[in-house]
Amino acid sequence: MSTSAAEIQQVQTIRLSDVCKSYGDYAVLKNIEAEVARGEVVVICGPSGSGKSTLIRTINRLEEINSGSITLDGQNIHAAMRTRELNLLRSRIGFVFQNFNLFPHLSVVENVSMSPIRVKGVAADVAHDKALKLLDRVGLADKARAYPGQLSGGQQQRVAIARALAMEPPVMLFDEPTSALDPEMVGEVLAVMKSLASEGMTMICVTHEMGFARDVADRIWFIDAGQILETAPPEEFFKTPRHPRAQRFLADLRH
Amino acid sequence: MIHDIIAIIQDYWLLLLIGQYPNGPLGGLANTLILSALSIALAFPVSIMLALARLSKWRLLRWPVTALVYITRGVPLLMLILWSYFLVPLWTGADVPSFVTMLTTLVVYQGAFLSEVVRAGIVALGSGQMDAARALGHSSLGAMRFIILPQALYNMIPSIISTFVSTIKDTTLGYVINVPDLTFAASQVNNQLLTQPFQVFFILAVVYYAICWSLTHVANIVERRITRRRAGLSGGAAPVELVPAKIISEQL
Repeated sequence: MSTSAAEIQQVQTIRLSDVCKSYGDYAVLKNIEAEVARGEVVVICGPSGSGKSTLIRTINRLEEINSGSITLDGQNIHAAMRTRELNLLRSRIGFVFQNFNLFPHLSVVENVSMSPIRVKGVAADVAHDKALKLLDRVGLADKARAYPGQLSGGQQQRVAIARALAMEPPVMLFDEPTSALDPEMVGEVLAVMKSLASEGMTMICVTHEMGFARDVADRIWFIDAGQILETAPPEEFFKTPRHPRAQRFLADLRH
Repeated sequence: MIHDIIAIIQDYWLLLLIGQYPNGPLGGLANTLILSALSIALAFPVSIMLALARLSKWRLLRWPVTALVYITRGVPLLMLILWSYFLVPLWTGADVPSFVTMLTTLVVYQGAFLSEVVRAGIVALGSGQMDAARALGHSSLGAMRFIILPQALYNMIPSIISTFVSTIKDTTLGYVINVPDLTFAASQVNNQLLTQPFQVFFILAVVYYAICWSLTHVANIVERRITRRRAGLSGGAAPVELVPAKIISEQL
């Protein structure tokens, strides 16, 4: 038992092999090869239209792929499977959207506790207590009874993170979590993400926050035109990018 | 004029209220209310099922329902009523009471109309809510039930109420297949009096107006109560803006 547990510890959490996706003739993702280790924080960056969001959405199968495979702890996410299995698999991958996508007809605490109740069958009072703890963790315990429409963008995004965490996923995906926020609210969301990273959460983030990438990421994937052109630790990527496209991207950022 | 109307009500109120009952079938206002309530109560769930079927990924479900909705919406209600009235007994040999014929036709017809309203409400929500539900592991039916429909139906309350109101008004067409409703009773009264059609049908109009107005009024109260509960509903998470409630009264 103990050996197999140790083996699993070493197995990469997410592995993408030869992932291709196209809309008609237009190839969005070309032969993506990558892996994310347990506890690793990966930041995906690249110019807009490069396929970052599509890539992260294929990891919990919000987007289908044309060929290749994506595995989570060895289980192929894009294999033919019963929807029940797929739903179970998805519930193990937290996803945070650019536009928050909170459920506006539910209060904050209901947003967080609903999925554990409906999907996992957790008892309502247990889920409720857990939701309050999570809200406290993202600094919004006092907003439990509020509705999403009454919150600022930054607060909504923090509720969205708490909602994803409520399913206790081993992996969290962030799709430009701060891009829809006013500048002064970016910090509060990044702070929550940083604390998650420091607790050992496996994270993949699409973001334009290069400061966050530099401080928190273990590795950066630079992607352009549907290909991962460079993967490197942040200090290496920001100081000495190897790929000419990455050099140009970083030069443009500094302007 | 007003005296005539009061006199008519004094003489015929029982006929207008319950028809020939207990000497004949229940009719009048009572029957109109029963027919309306049953039509709405049945057409509403039917419309949700039709809408979900039209949004289904299975063609076998989507295509026949789409055809049904298109045909039903493209044919006058009166013709559908006459078809079911004459054809169903011919095909099945069964003696279907006209009340049942009327009820079934209304449910199919208004169900088809309402299904488009429900479908519009679902589609207008955008994909973000469904994405969020799926990312959290909800099944598509679970997401519909707990996340999509509560929002879609709420946003469509004004249109849904309009359809309910026209359902009530469409019950009057039962007259042509002898459903003993309020219109039928009023026309009996008119046939007896012969000289006062305006007065008789004025009473009819006032009663229908009162029923439809009450329904919209109750709906407005319900809508306001939900809105108050979800106070502050706006911004990025709610792409659909509230339709102002006054549209309802305009459609009355």
